[in-house]
Amino acid sequence: MEPIQFVGENLFWGNLGHTAVVISFVTSIFATLSYFFAERNALDTSWAKLAKATFQLHSLSVLTIIGSLFYIIYAHLFEYHYAWQHSSRDLPVYYMISCFWEGQEGSFLLWIFWQMFIGQLLIRTSKSWMFPVMAVLMLSQIALTSMLLGVKILGYKLGSSPFELLRNAMDAPIFKRADYLSKVKDGNGLNPLLQNYWMVIHPPTLFFGFATTIVPFAYAIAGLWRKDYAGWLKPALPWGLISVMVLGTGIIMGGFWAYESLSFGGYWAWDPVENASLVPWLILIAGVHVIIIHRATGNSYIVALVLILATFLLVLYATFLTRSGILGNASVHSFTDLGMSGQLLVFLFMFIILSALLVGIRWKELPRSAKDEEIYTREFWMFIGSLLLVISAFQVILTTSIPVFNKVFSANMAPPADVIGHYNKWQMPIAILIGILTAVAHLLKYKKNKEEALKKIGIYAAISLVITIVLFFAFELNNYVFIGLLFAAVFAVFVNFIILLPFLKGKLQLAGSSVAHIGFGILLMGVLVSSANKKVISINESGEALNPEFNNKENVENIFLKRGEPNKMGDYIITYQKDSLYWVNTYYQVNYKKLNAAGEVDYEFNLHPNGQINPKFGLVANPDTKHYLSHDVFTYVSSVPNGKAEAKYINEKVHVVGVGDTLFTNNGYAILQGINSNTDAENIDMKNFQVLLGAELKVYTFSKVYDAMPMYGVENNSAVSFETLVDEAKLKFRFTGVDAQTRKVTIRTYEKDNSGEFIIMKAIVFPWINLVWAGTIIMIIGFFLAIVKRIKDL
Amino acid sequence: MKKTSIIGLIIIAIAIAAILSMYGDSSTYEDFSVAKDNSGKEYHIVGTLNRKKEKYYDPQKDANYFTFYLIDQKGVECKVIYHNPEPPDFDRSEQIVIVGSMEGQDFEASKILLKCPSKYTDNQVKT
Repeated sequence: MEPIQFVGENLFWGNLGHTAVVISFVTSIFATLSYFFAERNALDTSWAKLAKATFQLHSLSVLTIIGSLFYIIYAHLFEYHYAWQHSSRDLPVYYMISCFWEGQEGSFLLWIFWQMFIGQLLIRTSKSWMFPVMAVLMLSQIALTSMLLGVKILGYKLGSSPFELLRNAMDAPIFKRADYLSKVKDGNGLNPLLQNYWMVIHPPTLFFGFATTIVPFAYAIAGLWRKDYAGWLKPALPWGLISVMVLGTGIIMGGFWAYESLSFGGYWAWDPVENASLVPWLILIAGVHVIIIHRATGNSYIVALVLILATFLLVLYATFLTRSGILGNASVHSFTDLGMSGQLLVFLFMFIILSALLVGIRWKELPRSAKDEEIYTREFWMFIGSLLLVISAFQVILTTSIPVFNKVFSANMAPPADVIGHYNKWQMPIAILIGILTAVAHLLKYKKNKEEALKKIGIYAAISLVITIVLFFAFELNNYVFIGLLFAAVFAVFVNFIILLPFLKGKLQLAGSSVAHIGFGILLMGVLVSSANKKVISINESGEALNPEFNNKENVENIFLKRGEPNKMGDYIITYQKDSLYWVNTYYQVNYKKLNAAGEVDYEFNLHPNGQINPKFGLVANPDTKHYLSHDVFTYVSSVPNGKAEAKYINEKVHVVGVGDTLFTNNGYAILQGINSNTDAENIDMKNFQVLLGAELKVYTFSKVYDAMPMYGVENNSAVSFETLVDEAKLKFRFTGVDAQTRKVTIRTYEKDNSGEFIIMKAIVFPWINLVWAGTIIMIIGFFLAIVKRIKDL
Repeated sequence: MKKTSIIGLIIIAIAIAAILSMYGDSSTYEDFSVAKDNSGKEYHIVGTLNRKKEKYYDPQKDANYFTFYLIDQKGVECKVIYHNPEPPDFDRSEQIVIVGSMEGQDFEASKILLKCPSKYTDNQVKT
């Protein structure tokens, strides 16, 4: 059979992109080998030249892949599976960027891009360390680019190409037709949950963070390789801090996205996907601290080395967890398996074995300190704090790995039923200890200074305790369990602030550590207060079942709101007033009136939680939040009526108008633009009509303008009118009469009956959640100051 | 003993505690017959929606009362009560994981996880 000549396909961009993938894969192999031999043969500069040339070619091909894929999405070339799967014609350009990383291939591409970008920085800054560090980085680049290959080797599909054609990716009779493409009208579209501006910036930041963890790892490997056990720590430290800063920013952006646009009601849910990104971050923070300890005391070298190596390995493990589909029933994030879990495991073990082998070979030579630790030193308590971070990370990854244990041991464990309680019972005590240690360790000067330091610790702890008690009542915490964590947070903020004071006069760049720890303390405080006093206000407080039929007294956290009917909810009177449609989202306007103690209205505001009735996902609800300094009122729609019921139109109004006149209704107004006698409407058989007129209307609503043309005709000497619906404006028009003498026409308007409209809504008050964001931002500023200082030290 | 050794031992003890705690707190995937024998104890149950029986949700009467019938993987059916609105996209679910416990004759779910045919596998070209 002859191959079908398909019509209308644009194969150029796919071929270009796929060729670029192959080149990027091949060049990464060449670059790895060249950097490897450049390191081995210091005298032969040709290896270095070859390495640089192949790396530049590699970079160019990575940019070409991104360019081709973006063009395919941008130009709606649905002959490509990726564009068809992840985008659609109606997407604005900024969401096309999100389409890019909705699919797995795109997110690997993002990682590849950042790693290439970091490589470009390294060949300019890493000086004598360039060859071994770049060799490791390019080794990781081989692993990542192979994920995009999509070629079958010996029956095993290596990677998954983003440039696969729709007709090859799927099997359907339609692809037997040469003109199949003319039938593929639109793509599948972007997951509505990702249609959010945070999803435009959160994934790139997170992946930049993941990508940066290769650098300290590469330096550590290079140090082992060269037997230069001390030299790598200095350049690795600022990179470690950069990684901490970027990854931390990425994680908190994810939290903010969840809070602002998901309806699970919070910024952190201990979901496996969140945990998988948190764990490497915790380990890296511990690693950075232990490097600093080692450089001050000469102790704990092996711990620092292991933590730095573990960070990158944990990033790979996190990738395996989230991309292999193993989380299956455990996560709300439904990642599907693209059949690459085997490949992911190979890379994970490749890097684990590489690290373990090198550490094993060099084990006897690694620097060790014979002397015992001194208790009254800053370093000792910093070390304890770092170990606590490791324990925290260990506990999180352990429970997150339950699905992995099930697979390995054929067990039947499920995640804890009370996930949040399970994590909190471990993480809260650890947070208390870490908070206290950030204060204590800072007061113990480097080396020994026992008496004075202990005295200071005592005084500051006493002052912090007083502040804690005041805040305990100010925040209305009501449960003495929280005093420990609150004290730890206050102590951390207070002591680090005292330490910061001398730096405020000019030498702020030396204060990175105190600023970061103040931020951490504020973050702890915010987490405590916002979660301890988080209050669902849309709750049935009557203590009686709302409907005796169900005896449903407890756990009722959703409120039923009929349009236009005020309801009392906590201290608020709330009313669902109206809804409006923007693009694909319906915004439900909910009016809140806050009552004071006397029961009078104090102030009021409107929230517009929205929902998208998506044909593929059902109701996709996005919350809306009113932000105050001291609290947020968070609201989302949990259910809306099925909009299938027959629409009723009421409120008939008769308008006798001329051209240019306005017709007013409750849902907007319309202006008669003109009367058209040459209507060639579809579905109307013209020849029976003596007269057929159309009234050209422009319909103005609050947000939009629509065109409408109701028609009036005379057929066999009797009048006929054809009505027109403007569904989005909730209006119906009928053209019912003409007066030739006055040159006026009669148009009747009808408004859609909204009485059956309601929403089911949930509302939560988060007190002092701004402390969470403020603490995080201050912490990130602290990391930044520390990075600047460490780069200057180089 | 060196202080580092003491610290090492403490760390090992905490690690063991973390493992035990994970094991102790973890729930198990079970079926209705086990849940019925252990009324009040929390389990994860995997099953499919019985589409032949009515699911019930009438927000005008009670917005926080949703019931349906789930058939577990052994084929046992049970009525499930969920004190929340019907989850969006419930009808399209292929597989449902419910977390909760038996209370009398009914299973009270505190959490529902839906496995929907994701659009990634929904390889139907619309023409």
